[in-house]
Amino acid sequence: MMLFSWGWLQAQTPLITDGLMVPKRDLGNGLFYSNDSWKNYWEGTLKRDNRNIGTLSTQRVTWMGVYGLTQKITLIATLPYIWTKASGGTLEGMRGLQDVSLSAKYNFFTKDWTQNRIRLFALGTYAIPASDYTADFLPLSIGMGCKSFSGRLTTTYSYKKAWHFTVSGAYTWRGNIYLDRPSYYTNGQMYFSNEVQMYNQFDFILRAGYHQPNWRGELFYTQQNTLGGGDIRRQDMPFASNQMNYSKLGASFLYAIPQIKNLAARLWGSYTIAGRNVGQSTSITAGLMYTFHFANNQ
Amino acid sequence: MKIPKFYTALFFIATVTIVLRCNKEVTYTEGLYPLQPTNVDANAGTWKPVFVASYSKYAASVPLPADTSTSAYKTELATIKNLQSVLTSDQQKAIAYWSDGGVLRWNQIFRELVARYNLPPAPLSNGTYIFPDANNPFADPQFPFSNPPYASRAYSYVSAAIYDALKAAWYYKYQYNRPSPYLVDKNVKSIMPKVDLPSYPSEEAVMSAVAQTILLALFPAAYDEIISKAGEQRSVALLSGRASSSDISAGLALGKAVAADYLARAGSDGMSTAIGTKVQWEALDDTAKAHWAKLPAPVEASDVVTWLSLEVPARPPMLPFFGNKTSVGLGVKGWMMTNANFISERPGPPPIATQREMKNQVDEVKYYSQNLTGEREAIVLKWADGAGTYTPPGHWNQIAEGYVRDAHFSEVRAARAFAFLNMAMHDAAVGCWETKYYYFNPRPTQLDADIKTGTGIPNFPSYTSGHSTFSSAAATVLSYLFPSDATYFNDQAQEASLSRLYGAIHYRVDIQAGSDHGKRIGTYTVNFAKTDGAD
Repeated sequence: MMLFSWGWLQAQTPLITDGLMVPKRDLGNGLFYSNDSWKNYWEGTLKRDNRNIGTLSTQRVTWMGVYGLTQKITLIATLPYIWTKASGGTLEGMRGLQDVSLSAKYNFFTKDWTQNRIRLFALGTYAIPASDYTADFLPLSIGMGCKSFSGRLTTTYSYKKAWHFTVSGAYTWRGNIYLDRPSYYTNGQMYFSNEVQMYNQFDFILRAGYHQPNWRGELFYTQQNTLGGGDIRRQDMPFASNQMNYSKLGASFLYAIPQIKNLAARLWGSYTIAGRNVGQSTSITAGLMYTFHFANNQ
Repeated sequence: MKIPKFYTALFFIATVTIVLRCNKEVTYTEGLYPLQPTNVDANAGTWKPVFVASYSKYAASVPLPADTSTSAYKTELATIKNLQSVLTSDQQKAIAYWSDGGVLRWNQIFRELVARYNLPPAPLSNGTYIFPDANNPFADPQFPFSNPPYASRAYSYVSAAIYDALKAAWYYKYQYNRPSPYLVDKNVKSIMPKVDLPSYPSEEAVMSAVAQTILLALFPAAYDEIISKAGEQRSVALLSGRASSSDISAGLALGKAVAADYLARAGSDGMSTAIGTKVQWEALDDTAKAHWAKLPAPVEASDVVTWLSLEVPARPPMLPFFGNKTSVGLGVKGWMMTNANFISERPGPPPIATQREMKNQVDEVKYYSQNLTGEREAIVLKWADGAGTYTPPGHWNQIAEGYVRDAHFSEVRAARAFAFLNMAMHDAAVGCWETKYYYFNPRPTQLDADIKTGTGIPNFPSYTSGHSTFSSAAATVLSYLFPSDATYFNDQAQEASLSRLYGAIHYRVDIQAGSDHGKRIGTYTVNFAKTDGAD
């Protein structure tokens, strides 16, 4: 169930929600592997398991590109390939390219005094399905199949360049989706249409981190609410426009590998502490990012 | 500084553009428009009943009405005029809603009810299931579980009863020939489309009474909604100037009387024994083996692989005695087919599970399981019609809706179309369920556990395919009603059938035998329809 909404992926992705920028004309390329799984899920507000699903696991390989357009504008692109599998029951897993996203991050305010620094960022992200996967086979679908645009504001306070505290919030507008069937029932109503309204979403994330020149550690809390939609009915399958909400706690770690210049390893994970119409997932991601410094080469 | 400003502007413009494009309100399309029948079917009171003994038997419900010149009737007109002078916007919306045709609207409403209640009970923590309880419909599990056999029976009762009741209404309308209020008094506005039809008894009231009475018995937990819709249809008949309060009272009484006859049938049609008991479920295995041993080419019990539930925990089979015709006192009655007809039309046996021919069938399913292309997946999802939906019979009602609407049928002829469609699909449910439990054949995944499926495996035997039987019976009836589109209906039925092979939950033999069976079943209804006096 909406394990891989665009918002979920992005909220924990480096650079999207943190207070960092890429230097001008730096180009970073990253490849990340994620594993996300859950056994329990929330059917509306009722927490349960389902032996016809067993454990639902979702694996993902994400390419990420970042580029410093100017000192104050960073561009970020992501493209995940996803495959799902249910350990119980008979339903076939699905696989494919999910949504490609392009973000622009703008550092529009910076204030320094003594050991303190405050920076503000605005970020816009547009995402669109990269293949014609279906959203009508949850929880095995690889995504929600909708176009979306997200507007995000982030503020970071840092002390002595070592301690970083970040608050980031986003509002995501989501486009409608179209099913292969001519009707559906959700949220207490029959719709004689194949068009499904995907409700907008709000998310925020709080991060506290400690940064050293060659490593960074962070703890985070993130929450996402879908601003409308119905619950999964008793013993029903989830539906794309369900009201999918969650809160997660997580940690992330970055390590600049000293032996290889410009290569950084990242590791982050999270655990769902509360939710509605989503799986109680545990997720871990690991990856490498390599940066080319074009400005320095000239 | 110049460059960031340029990018800021670009960023802002892009944001606004994208947000405006994304933030699109959903268009909820009802797909209907105001009904203006091309022919009122003035002779419908002479068409053959599908179930009731006669229309004249309801004379006590529809007594001779007061003349339109009487003061009693003029008081009724004054009431309408008063109400019309203070119409609220909600009342205007209700008039617009019901102007699209009562038969079509009730069809939408009962499809919605089926979708709402089509959810299986959740397992208890001890691995067992409890059944929905008609006396406690709001509990968990809710009552009913309107699965495909339940739904097909429900659709057929409401549709057939509305059809018989409307013919009875036409019978009395042309006996008394009382005009609509807006024709009697030019100060009464006609707010619905004008239909040249006598108004006593009111057809809206007849429909509302039948639908209300039968739906309340089938979906008791939806009491408030059903009562409210039925009441709204009656008030629309009054507010629109189409019927007076005495037209409506007579329609209400007639509709209730016809519905009572249908409910009496429903109370003794065998549905109460369709679930059976644990002892009876355990005997299904031996009964099926006895059937295989009695075939013209007998099969030994050791060669018969019988069905097992693939759900975890294992769930009792869905309505195993719904179609039963081989034990006394069990099984649901058909509409157009006798018990002997069901037995004689039953498809022959599927290949024996232990033999090469069945292995080929399994291999073909496995191929589709491993090769679910985007195109085939879309077909699987289009026709899944599983839990939480209006079921395959509901899907065929949805297909029929557009044709009935575009044909500009009178209410009574629209009712005829849905009655025949749903009576045929009910008979298809009985015939298919009879076959399924007669042979008790396993699903592909039971014979090869590596077969993963593109849709949920229904919790009942494989042979024959319900989708194929329903779809082929429906296409047969719709092809009779709308002959110029027969090719389309048959193509859709074929696609619905194949969707079950593509989804890896049926063998090809299930869908072929089901399609042929459905066509034979549908023909019983068509043969009746050809002689009912409406053609």
